[in-house]
Amino acid sequence: MSGERDPSVEGGAGFHTPVGSRRTFFRWVTTGLAGLIGLGLAVPLTGYVISPALKRREPQWVDVGALDELPEGEPKQLDHVTTSRDGYLESRFQKAVWAVKRPDGQVSVFAPMCTHLGCGYHWAGGEKQFKCPCHGSVFDLEGQVVAGPAPRPLDPLPAKVENGRLLVIFKEFKSGIAQRVEL
Amino acid sequence: MASRIYGWLDSRLNLKPVEKTLLDEPIPGGASWIYVFGSVTLFLFVLQAVTGMFLAVYYAPTPDHAYDSVRFIESEVTFGAFVRGLHHWGASAMVVAIGLHMLQAFLYGAYKPPREAMWMAGVLLFLIVMAFAFTGYLLPWDQTAYWATRIGINMVGTVPLVGEFLMKVMRGGEVLGALTLSRFFAVHVLFLPALIVGLIALHLFILRRVGPAGPWTDERATLGSETFYPRQVYMDAVAIFCAFLLVAAAALAIPLPLTDKADPSDTSFVPVPEWYFLFYYELLKYVHGPLEPLATWILPAAVVLVMFLWPFIDRNPARNPIRRPVALGAGALFLAVVLSLLGLSIKNLYAVPRADPAVARGKALYAEFGCAGCHRIHGEGGAVAPDLSYVGDVRPDRDWHNRHFKDPQSVSPGSFMPKFPLTDQQLNDLTSYMLSLKKAP
Repeated sequence: MSGERDPSVEGGAGFHTPVGSRRTFFRWVTTGLAGLIGLGLAVPLTGYVISPALKRREPQWVDVGALDELPEGEPKQLDHVTTSRDGYLESRFQKAVWAVKRPDGQVSVFAPMCTHLGCGYHWAGGEKQFKCPCHGSVFDLEGQVVAGPAPRPLDPLPAKVENGRLLVIFKEFKSGIAQRVEL
Repeated sequence: MASRIYGWLDSRLNLKPVEKTLLDEPIPGGASWIYVFGSVTLFLFVLQAVTGMFLAVYYAPTPDHAYDSVRFIESEVTFGAFVRGLHHWGASAMVVAIGLHMLQAFLYGAYKPPREAMWMAGVLLFLIVMAFAFTGYLLPWDQTAYWATRIGINMVGTVPLVGEFLMKVMRGGEVLGALTLSRFFAVHVLFLPALIVGLIALHLFILRRVGPAGPWTDERATLGSETFYPRQVYMDAVAIFCAFLLVAAAALAIPLPLTDKADPSDTSFVPVPEWYFLFYYELLKYVHGPLEPLATWILPAAVVLVMFLWPFIDRNPARNPIRRPVALGAGALFLAVVLSLLGLSIKNLYAVPRADPAVARGKALYAEFGCAGCHRIHGEGGAVAPDLSYVGDVRPDRDWHNRHFKDPQSVSPGSFMPKFPLTDQQLNDLTSYMLSLKKAP
C-alpha cells in the first residue's frame, strides 16, 4: 500500500499516516470502544464497592429475658447475646438494654448509650435518675433530659411481650445531635 | 475543554514531543491485525489488575475466612459474581492472548537480532503469568484449590537435593495451611504485580528502542512505515474490545461454583487443574516410577530454558518462515504435542461421565420424597441423618442401596429412616443418583 497515491494518506513511500476524515473515523472508533469498556467496568465495579452501604439489616426481635424478672418501676439492665452478620462473618456478641416496667404492665426499653456522646449510663436508684458518668447528663425514668449536655431524651427501642418474654429490636443511634438518626 | 486543559499543560510541561514519541512510532510495512495480540495481552493484564484490586476489597486470606469471603463475593455482593468471573476468565483469556502473541512473534521471527532481549523479557513475563495462575488458584480455598495446589507443590518436591526444602519454603512449613495461603496471597497480589509491572516496562522499553519487527520480507529497504496512531491503535482497540466482550460474556453466562470448603483430611478428592495446565497434567499420567522427575521438572525446565534462549539457539538470520524449516518444524512439533495432550486430557475428563438419565430422575425423587429433611448434600439439607455428599464413594454397592431403600433396618440395624413405597424403577433411579454422588466424576 505504500506505493499508492491516496488523498486520505499523508506522507510518501517512506513514512505515512491517515489524515482527514479517515483519521477522524479511527479516532472516534477508538474513543468509542474505550468508552464502552470503561462504562462496562465502571458500572459493575461501582455497584460492587457500594453494595454493602445500600444493604439494610433486617430488624430482628431478640429475647432479652422474662417479664417476671423485671421489677415494677425500677429500671434494670438486661444483657443478651445477639447474632449478627458482619459480611461473611457470623458473630455473636453481648448487647445490653435498659428496661422499665410501668405500673400498667407496659414496658419501656432504652438503648444503653447516652445520647450525648455514647457513654454507657447507669441507674441511680436513690435519686430515681439515669446518670451518665462521662459528662454528667441526667435523665428521668421516662428518659427525658433533666440535666447535662444530652441533646435529646434517651432512645427508646421497639419492645413487645410474647408468652411472658420481653422481645426487643436492638438499634443504635447517632449520638450528639437533637434528631434521632439510626445507624 | 479537554483540548484547553491539554494546551495549558502542554505550554508548561512541553507534552507535544511525548505525544509524538508515543503516537507516531513507525510501524514498518504499516498497521496490521496480526500485531494486536501484545496490546490485547496488556489490556487483559490491566483488567486482571483492576478486578483483582476489587476482589481484594472483600477477600480475606486466612483458612478460616477465605472460603466464606469468596462465597460472600459470589452470592451477596452486587456484581460480585461478575467481577469474580471477569478475573477468572480474564486469566484464561490472558493465557490465550500470550500464546497468540508468542506464536506471532515466533512465526515472524521477531525474536531475531536485534530483538533477542525483547523475546527473553517476554518469556519471563509468560513465566510470571503462570506463577500468577498457580498462586491465584489456591486463594478461594475450596477443595479444588487446595488439592490442585497440593499436587503442584508436591511436584516441586521431586527436584533432587533442594526439592524438599523448596516445598517447605512454598508451603511456609510442613503443611499446606494458613502460612501457605497468606504467602500465596502476598505473592499473588504484591510481589508478582511489582515484578510484572517492571518487566512489562522493560518489554515496552526495548520495543520502543529497537522498534517493531514488521513483516518478514527480505527487501526491508522498500518498506514504508505507518504511524502507530491512528490505524494500529484503532485495530488494537477493536481487538481489545472483542476480548473484553468475550471475557464479560463468559463471566455473565458461565457460573463458577465453589466446590466444598478445603478439607485437608479428605484425601480422596481428585482435583482437576485449570485447562492451561491440563496438557502438563496429562503428560504426568504417562510417566511413572524412576522416570517421573523427567516429566515433573526435567522436561519443563528444559523447555523453559530452550524458550528463553531460543534467539541464540536459532542462528538462522532469515525471518521469512519459508526459509526457516527447522525452526518452524520445531515450533509446530512443540505446539502439536501440547495441543494433543490438551485435547486428550479434555477428552478423558469430559467424555467419560455420560449423563445418565436415571441420575436426574433419582435426583428428582430425592427432592420429591423430602430426603433433604434429614440428609445433607454439599451443605444443603438436614443434619440428623448421614451426609450423602459422597455416598457413592462410601457405599459403592448398588445392591446395598436397593435393599436399604426397601427396608433400611435390614442392612442398617437401628436406623430410624422410614421405608419409602418405591417402584422398582424409582428404586433403581434413586440408587443411580446415590452412586453418582462421588468426589471425582
